[in-house]
Amino acid sequence: MLRSKTAVKPDGPAKVIDREWIVKKVLFVLAMMTVLGILLIVLMVTKESIPALTKAGPFNLFSSRWDPSTGHYGMLIFLVGTLLTTIGGLILGVPLAIGTAIFVTQMAPPRAAGFVSRGIEVLAGIPSIVIGWLGFTVLVPVLVKLTSSTGNGILAASIILAIMIMPTITAIASDALESVPVEYKQGSFGLGATRWQTIWHVMLPAARPGLIVAVILGMGRAIGETMAVALVIGPATAWPKSLWTPTHTLTTKILMEIQESTGTTRSALFTMALVLLLFSMMMIMLVRAFTKKKEYARGAA
Amino acid sequence: MREGPPKVEAEVIDVIKVRRVAREAQQRKSVRSDRVATIAVWSIAATGIGVLTFIVGVILWRGLATALTPGFIFGQPQAFKAGGGIWPMVVSSFYLAFLTLLIVLPVGVGAGIYMGEYSKQGWAARSIRFGADSLSTVPSLVFGIVGLSLLAVYLRLSYCLLAGAIVLALLNLPTIMRTTEESLKAVPQTYREASMGLGASKWYTIRKVVMPTAVPGITTGAVLTLGRVIGESAAVVYLVGMYVSRVPLSPLSPGAPMAANIYHLYNEAALLPDAARVASGESAFLLLVVLALMLLARLVSWFFKRKTRVADRFA
Repeated sequence: MLRSKTAVKPDGPAKVIDREWIVKKVLFVLAMMTVLGILLIVLMVTKESIPALTKAGPFNLFSSRWDPSTGHYGMLIFLVGTLLTTIGGLILGVPLAIGTAIFVTQMAPPRAAGFVSRGIEVLAGIPSIVIGWLGFTVLVPVLVKLTSSTGNGILAASIILAIMIMPTITAIASDALESVPVEYKQGSFGLGATRWQTIWHVMLPAARPGLIVAVILGMGRAIGETMAVALVIGPATAWPKSLWTPTHTLTTKILMEIQESTGTTRSALFTMALVLLLFSMMMIMLVRAFTKKKEYARGAA
Repeated sequence: MREGPPKVEAEVIDVIKVRRVAREAQQRKSVRSDRVATIAVWSIAATGIGVLTFIVGVILWRGLATALTPGFIFGQPQAFKAGGGIWPMVVSSFYLAFLTLLIVLPVGVGAGIYMGEYSKQGWAARSIRFGADSLSTVPSLVFGIVGLSLLAVYLRLSYCLLAGAIVLALLNLPTIMRTTEESLKAVPQTYREASMGLGASKWYTIRKVVMPTAVPGITTGAVLTLGRVIGESAAVVYLVGMYVSRVPLSPLSPGAPMAANIYHLYNEAALLPDAARVASGESAFLLLVVLALMLLARLVSWFFKRKTRVADRFA
């Protein structure tokens, strides 16, 4: 309205306001690139997976038999592989990450806290392919000796994933612990609680939504991690008979087959990507649910 | 009858005594559990740092000797015989990172300015935030295969640096947008009020007053993105390429970023006799580059912080 009113006048101010309007619209378009990008990704993945969904059908796609030459496109093995490696990574990584977050925010002398959190940042920056290569050349040979197997499999992938998700979880958990009002801590100490009682009974429960968000985001990283897992998971299209037999996850299967495959096989791989996308969306919903609750609790307090 | 009350009293005293003893035991117990927990948490943190030191140490120990040989970094790669270098891969990595920043910086900073300075709480802001959150949660492999089917098949941009840069720009858009927005939010509101009070327009205020103050944060974010792009492999292996023998010159020529090349070496270990040596050397060099970029990001923010502190003193 302002624009139309001033645009009538042929002098200076009209031009200035017009430019303001253009700038705002241009910036808006740039910001909408995020929406456009995610829509593009969802649309492309959906479109590419339609042939598999119509030709093979959901029962075939979620069966446990992957054998494209006979028309079997089951992804159950890979789905289970993804879930097992993720759970393994969380079991190993979460205590390490939350413990480190407690150390950094509650216990460490300032210099040690700075040292540890900087170290964790460095760990987050190491490229996943480098960690994978390390797993392939160092971790797997150790597991070969310990288990007298090929060393590849769920356990190796879980250890690698634990290392990779630890920085994410530590960073967010530290933020959550730090955002607990200092009065909670003072109150607890004032009542005579020890430091650990304060952490266990006051700080951790107060930071719980943030801690859950941290674990969810770590889980998201574990589900989507590709390269580091690809080098230590096997690969083999078979059920993992033990923690150290070669198998596959969704991401590694897509990575290794997408280029050579065509037609329905390729489309089936895109269906797996669609499953990964659904996981991502689920994570976002969960994170939003928890952060909203946290804001509400703070608003009420 | 008389002996009653003292008895009760004794009982009361007993109860008090028992309670005190119990409380002291409780206190001892909590002190002990506090000590145990402290030791446990310290050792967890030590484990974390130990794992980090081990990882960095082993990568460097296995590859540093190779990585720091000039003939390795600047050498021509070999496909079938030992003794090759990685120069085209080094160039590809930096070329790709440069192209990515060229695309993502204008878009991401613009988007961040919109979110920080213009957007109101409405459906548009909500959907932009949702889009950014989704983009940063989607696995990078999915970016890679979408790029493969969209750019390579429909636009015929197969195996080139530009295709990789477009996809990586989208992958890093949320990060740049968020760092920009946060840097803008850190600029005091009084700056804007003063500028606009003097008659400056909003865009002029943003350009001349707000942005210069926000530049340190954005620069730090850009350097960190650089590190992430150089380390990214899953999104680029099938878009840019994994092996080239010549240095890529045009954005439309195929490249082989170091991260993708390591995966290639893992796959082709049977063909190249010293694949393990090359991959270890490349890993060490890649790690050094990423660490150097992280250090640079820290130096940038430290440098600007010092500068503003000096400026504050004179203000």
